Amino acid sequence: MKIRRTSAAIAVAATGALLFTACTSPAGTDDPEPGETTTAEGEDEITDPCKVDSGITETAEGNISYSVGEDEWLGINGDTPETYSVYNSVVNGRVESAFVYFGVDGTVCENTEFGTLEVLSEDPLQVEYTVNDDAVWSDGEPVQYADYLLAWATQKYTVDGGEDALFNYVGGLELSEFVPEPPTGANGDKSFVYDYETVNADWKIQVTTAKPAHVVAEQIGVTLDELVVALQEGDYEILEPAAEFWNEGWLSPVPGELPDPSIAVVNGPYTFKENGWTAGQSLTLEANEAYWGTPPGTDELTFRFSAADTHVQALQNGDLDVIEPQATVDTLGQLDAIGDTVSVALGDTLTWEHLDFNFAEGNVFADNLALREAFALCVPRQQIVDNLIVPVNPEAVVMNAREVFPFQDTYDEVVEASYDGRYDQVDLDAAIAKFEESGAEEGTQVRIGYSAPNPRRTNEVEFIKSSCDQVGFEIVDVGDPDFFSVTLPAGDYEVALFAWAGSGQIASGRNIYSTTGGQNYGQFSSDAVDEAWQVLASTVDPNIHLEQVKVIEKLLWDELFGIPVFAHPGVAAYSSSLEGLRKTATQDQIVWNAEQWVRAS
Amino acid sequence: MLRFILRRIGISFLVLLGASFLMYILTINSGDPLEDLRESNAENREQLMERREDFMGLNDPWYLRYWNWLTGVSKCVVLQCDLGVTRNGVDVGSLLGQAAGSTLRLVTIATLAAIVIGIAFGMLTAIRQYSGFDYTVTFGAFLFYSLPVFWAAVLLKEFGAIRFNDWIAVGTISPVVVVLVAALLGFVAQAILGGDSRRRLITAGGTFAFVAAALFYFNAVDFYRNPAMGPALVAVVGVGAAVLVVSLVTGLANRRVLYAALTTVAVGVISYFALGSVLAEPTWPILIGLFVLAIILASVIGALWGGYSRRQAIFASNVTAVLMSGIIVADIALAHWASFLGLKSRPISTIGSETPNFTGGFWESFLDKGAQLLLPTIILTLISVASYSRYTRSSMLEVMNQDYVRTARSKGLSERAVITKHAFRNALIPITTIVAFDFAGLIGGAVITETVFGWKGMGELFRSGLLHVDPNPVMAFFLVTGIAAVLMNMLADIAYAYLDPRIRR
Repeated sequence: MKIRRTSAAIAVAATGALLFTACTSPAGTDDPEPGETTTAEGEDEITDPCKVDSGITETAEGNISYSVGEDEWLGINGDTPETYSVYNSVVNGRVESAFVYFGVDGTVCENTEFGTLEVLSEDPLQVEYTVNDDAVWSDGEPVQYADYLLAWATQKYTVDGGEDALFNYVGGLELSEFVPEPPTGANGDKSFVYDYETVNADWKIQVTTAKPAHVVAEQIGVTLDELVVALQEGDYEILEPAAEFWNEGWLSPVPGELPDPSIAVVNGPYTFKENGWTAGQSLTLEANEAYWGTPPGTDELTFRFSAADTHVQALQNGDLDVIEPQATVDTLGQLDAIGDTVSVALGDTLTWEHLDFNFAEGNVFADNLALREAFALCVPRQQIVDNLIVPVNPEAVVMNAREVFPFQDTYDEVVEASYDGRYDQVDLDAAIAKFEESGAEEGTQVRIGYSAPNPRRTNEVEFIKSSCDQVGFEIVDVGDPDFFSVTLPAGDYEVALFAWAGSGQIASGRNIYSTTGGQNYGQFSSDAVDEAWQVLASTVDPNIHLEQVKVIEKLLWDELFGIPVFAHPGVAAYSSSLEGLRKTATQDQIVWNAEQWVRAS
Repeated sequence: MLRFILRRIGISFLVLLGASFLMYILTINSGDPLEDLRESNAENREQLMERREDFMGLNDPWYLRYWNWLTGVSKCVVLQCDLGVTRNGVDVGSLLGQAAGSTLRLVTIATLAAIVIGIAFGMLTAIRQYSGFDYTVTFGAFLFYSLPVFWAAVLLKEFGAIRFNDWIAVGTISPVVVVLVAALLGFVAQAILGGDSRRRLITAGGTFAFVAAALFYFNAVDFYRNPAMGPALVAVVGVGAAVLVVSLVTGLANRRVLYAALTTVAVGVISYFALGSVLAEPTWPILIGLFVLAIILASVIGALWGGYSRRQAIFASNVTAVLMSGIIVADIALAHWASFLGLKSRPISTIGSETPNFTGGFWESFLDKGAQLLLPTIILTLISVASYSRYTRSSMLEVMNQDYVRTARSKGLSERAVITKHAFRNALIPITTIVAFDFAGLIGGAVITETVFGWKGMGELFRSGLLHVDPNPVMAFFLVTGIAAVLMNMLADIAYAYLDPRIRR
């Protein structure tokens, strides 16, 4: 008996130790002061959203390692639906040059080192692209018209002229709907012109990267001239093998086997390091010797394939130099506990959370503006942001727009023009008044649907419930793993809680808010909104874009399409010995300017 | 017997076929393969969904999808397996090869270590039943058995990797820690060896003095950053190992066996000198060839010395040869530790199975991969040691109470002979079947361990396949684990049938 008691005592002590370490080990000894962790950003007060001159004149020896997750790299051609993912683009974006790229707040920036673009005429839209005379592929061939003709052709031709695309391009045939004729130019030209049949507000991001056409010609056994003619004239004898190579030849279906150097031809600051890919482990890029522009700051860039929850410790141990962990309070605490060796950058991302009403016929919110207003008046947006987002991003604010983000230049202007602050504070009295005006019955059920499991959204629904149930609603949490596949299409909800990832496009919202839009899940319909989108989409004038965004935002607030809540927070952390890193809100991830990273010695 | 085996194979095949069908149907119905696209706001979302439906054959009826998979797999009969592609177009066959390779690397050592340590602890606790040592091991076994892997792994990374790396940069142990470690080891030693209080005191004191002296010496010569054993120490450790092996196998009184083992050690030390240049920069085939050669030589030595106890002599010299090979490899690896530290100042990474773009020679890479194996192996071993030690302990206790053990004791046999010859061997029988089943299970990989340590093994293949509702990788995983399980079951059945004719019907 004595022994048993001793064991029990040891057991208690051991369990206590477990609990104790469980509490202290990840978070360290003291609670993180959210404000402190932002110090890293204070160093580089760069206001220009685009890349700024790094002052790098030569590539330094060394290696910087980064991980975005456990998924393997899939191949040079990241433009097929199967390979198009952030895991692939973080790598491919480093080995490709493009005319434009997204700046840290989603601004479309021009890459003048690679080439320039000039609008010859606004309506009809005509754009001339000029590739830098020095711009070459890694095998020495110039980057030129033929490459961009190929890029256009991948978005043009269909199988036997039918419906199905010949090239397995992820973006479909969108470009050729606007530019039905091949860009004008000839094989070898450094400048070429795109003639838009219809004006495209997002013309700037229609033409970005290209693949080496001379490699395709070589692989299918024709001369580059023959290929150019075939691409211009739609000669299927040559198009078909070219498409076959484009669809398959640049993929790497066997992990660890880099593509043959004769087809791994790139034009970015980095290229693939020989034997640099170990299946399941890592892929290493090295500086591209043929690169004509500013040389990359560090010779080697390693992408490691490891799960996101291993990143913080790997950063602490120096296995990774740059990470973008989940933005949670726990992660921040862990990062803070590491100390000075790691810098943390907090901020918003281009993804935003919103509550959307269901306008489908028969739904309580359809045709009942007063009820929608009652709901909007009782949703505690400030409370949600203060409790769930501010701990991760101290500068987070309630978002009052849909087409612009709080960190973007035009946000204040747009909000001022479209929204008078009527839903800033919860006003239960006003909400009750609206509720009565709406004629809804006491205890009207409001099912809030979202894709579960998602603890943050569960909390949001709880906050809403505790506030809105006082008004007369009965909030029901219908979060479900099948939300997007079952609940949303079937319309079995009153309010949908989810997030859109901002694309950086100007007219992408049209798909969400116009009557026939593919992503208009709630079947919202407003002629005025449709019309404003039409005006916006058919011009390239930024002033008109801004004007119409104001109109649309005001209409969406007045009609209450839904309620924006907040921009998702993002966290980046990196070894303090690195310089030149800038967190970006876009999906390009922090590696967007990896060629400017250097390790301070 | 042949009929029995053929029937078992036939039944196993049907079981596999049925299970594969069930598995396929369950997998394709386990979720929504288009989930990520549904949340996308790409303008051509519909087209992307259609493309994936075509690519994965989502619109085909379930029986057709299963049939397509089955016909691909059935080509394995003519050695042209077609396991399909993942939803990202990656060839599942090559994924499977890589996953299986990395899982085997991960679990083999862990399994062997768990078996050896588990059985040793099980035996010792059975012999010292109800002692403080027994309680401590029992408590530890249950503690480790119930550890949540992800949490233990985080702790192990913190202390085994991050803090170890911080420490190795300096590489000295403070006097307080030296005294504490020595005291702890002294306490453990007396608990294991037992005896009356005077003997315990001597054991504890001796261990304490030895460990403390050794640790202070290590500090003095910067051993942790610049370790070396040297041929003399190799010889001493080899002799020690030989004596231990012989005393366990036959007892030191059997001189023929002792001489056989000692000769093996001598041959080992001599060949270590003779092959120095080869061992400086070997390849895996050379190392394996040398190992095979060592086993052959050891068998010859045992046969020549053996005489009437030829079998024991061959066995003892073989075990000695294995240990000796291990000691020599350890010595060479130790000698390369300093240059390894030069290449990689933080030797233990928290993720990955190797350092990317590592540039060292054979032994530096050996250390690099070995260091990466260390932490996951510790986790896997800790977890499975528990069950092995408990099984061995109970089975050993049961055997120790048998009449034939009492008979052996009353004949006046030494306790060593009673335990190693009469009790231990019989106690091992039930353990062998557990090992067979466990191994089948381990091929399936250790999902959580693989994920937290950044290894891409079988578990990861299964996990990501299921996550994407992508049947091909899941089925590839199933194919290997299912065949392993069925095969091991069959082997166990056949072994039973061999042992017990009543089953053979």
